[in-house]
Amino acid sequence: MKRLLCLVAGLFCAMVTSTQAADAVKIGLMGPLTGAWAGEGQEMKQVVGLLAEELNQQGGVNGKKVEILNEDDAGDPRQASLAANRLATQGVVAVIGTYGSAITEATQNIYDEAGVIQVANGSTAIRLSEKGLASFFRTCPRDDEQGKVATATIRKLGFKKVAIIHDSTSYAKGLAEETRTNLKNENIPVVFFDALTPGERDYNTILTKMKAADPDFVFFTGYYPEAGLLLRQKKEMGWAVPFMGGDAVNNPELVKIAGTAAAEGFLFLTPPLPKDLDTPEARAFVAAFEKKFGNAPRSIYPVLAGDGFRVIIEAIKGTGSTDPVKVSTYLKKSLKDFPGLTGKISFNDKGDRVGEVYRVYKVDNQGSFILQP
Amino acid sequence: MEQFFQQLTNGLAIGGIYALIALGYTMVYGVLRLINFAHGDLFTIGAYLGLTLLTSLALTEHLSGFLGVGLLALMVMGLVSLIGILLERIAYRPLRESHRLSAVVSALGASIFFQNAIMLIYGAKYYVYPQNLLPNTPIFILGMPIPLMRILILLASILMMIALYLFVQKTRIGTAIRATAIDQAAARLMGIDVNRVIMIVFCIGPALGGAAGMMVGIYYGQINFTMGWIYGLKAFTAAILGGIGNIPGAMLGGLLLGVIESLSSAYISMAWKDAIAFVVLILILIVRPTGLLGERVAEKI
Repeated sequence: MKRLLCLVAGLFCAMVTSTQAADAVKIGLMGPLTGAWAGEGQEMKQVVGLLAEELNQQGGVNGKKVEILNEDDAGDPRQASLAANRLATQGVVAVIGTYGSAITEATQNIYDEAGVIQVANGSTAIRLSEKGLASFFRTCPRDDEQGKVATATIRKLGFKKVAIIHDSTSYAKGLAEETRTNLKNENIPVVFFDALTPGERDYNTILTKMKAADPDFVFFTGYYPEAGLLLRQKKEMGWAVPFMGGDAVNNPELVKIAGTAAAEGFLFLTPPLPKDLDTPEARAFVAAFEKKFGNAPRSIYPVLAGDGFRVIIEAIKGTGSTDPVKVSTYLKKSLKDFPGLTGKISFNDKGDRVGEVYRVYKVDNQGSFILQP
Repeated sequence: MEQFFQQLTNGLAIGGIYALIALGYTMVYGVLRLINFAHGDLFTIGAYLGLTLLTSLALTEHLSGFLGVGLLALMVMGLVSLIGILLERIAYRPLRESHRLSAVVSALGASIFFQNAIMLIYGAKYYVYPQNLLPNTPIFILGMPIPLMRILILLASILMMIALYLFVQKTRIGTAIRATAIDQAAARLMGIDVNRVIMIVFCIGPALGGAAGMMVGIYYGQINFTMGWIYGLKAFTAAILGGIGNIPGAMLGGLLLGVIESLSSAYISMAWKDAIAFVVLILILIVRPTGLLGERVAEKI
């Protein structure tokens, strides 16, 4: 018992001293380390952790080491606000994250009031950057951008009767409504518009109902677990309508869930995949990641989190300061065409990333994601 | 009209699964007056164990599809019922004499423990059952193509429910379970080993839940560690709807909930289907506070 007590006390001391070891630049990472999106969150932690490690080996930033504080938002707004409060009180300069829009929204004001910069990596809902928060940034594009690309793709492919399904999350619903409005303006009728409940397994009901509306194209704006099941059950019904997904379906698990035969021909919009990144920085990073973890990053959002980390470091270097106001002004005014892992990065006054990011991908008969020209 | 019947079969297939899980809630409640919140996670464990055994033993390769899946189901049910017994020993028995709320908190804790244990053991990613374990050719009923798997799932759940009903009504152990449900103290005075009865209940309920998890895995393909939450919630609702503590009630409640969900999403709105299902639940509880079949308090379970 005594030995156990000593051990516990020792661990406690070690923890206290390690947090005090400081004069390091502290940067928070808030991601879904557990919960339904834990796959994304765990990889975010790996990506940012690796970048920080590399940076520290090269001597850190402005002569200081960088320390990453990881907090779990569990993909849940309530948990996220607790995580945000914890990070905000630990003296972080900036927080990278998070993935889901609703989760980011729950934390925006907490960071803003604490004067902490937030760089979201997967939250694409439009309103997040329309609130006039000076210290909010994102390295992912916004839904209205994606809605425009979706509409253009549908027009280009020449479909006349479109069905749209979302899953009632702020991201999916926003994208679905944006696309519906755009399609209306283009006189392409939307014959079906409804929501499914994520986390269920049986979507035969929605498919049967949708089939009765007889669309010639279906756009699903939700996440990959449901997209995979929809494709699988659609195939089982013997219904051959073409499907397209938004950027939340971009995950290889999609093909596993649907089965290769059911996933073949599925289109989706997304920022480029890690394997299609073609800048030298990106290739070097993907190689380093593969060396350390045995596989390339599976999803682009963790890489976008890495870009969030890199722009923050760049701004701290550029200003020679960790003052949040100076850093965010630098990001908006002085950072132009920064060579990010996912392409060139600049921010506008709202903190949104400027420039075309989306590409169209198609699943081939091997289940691979092929970039469409 | 064809769409109506198609949606009806969709609803029955979902409802069969709900009913199977609801039985676990209702049996435990009937005997212990405890809502076993960890039941949804036992369902998840069933799905994961099914996948592990399937891939490690390759049963369906050595045996024919149906025999392999049947054997697999028995193994999964056995393992999950062991976990159920352990759960009762560790989390519920020490609290048998304390306030009912303590046991509920313990159940919630067990649920969180299981969910995170599955995540730590298997990882957070989605797992996928191998496809085409069983032939899934559509069968034409009234001119409608209905996937064979869906009919099999409904049949399997109904068979298990009938077996359970007969077990509880016709056997000596079943009589002991019913007696314990009515009055534990009196049952003990009559020479019934109440601890053994509770153990049996924690054997049967989790076994059915685990079987349902495996069926969901085989039919829908995709499983993940949070799946128990939504199914558990729906099955719990179904148990209340049918009258908690009542076995035929759980079956009726499950099937009814599935059908209400699919018909309301077909004819009203999909986004509102859960809201509609709960409105129906509230209406039924206003008219019949004990649930649809919950009136025979003396015959609970």
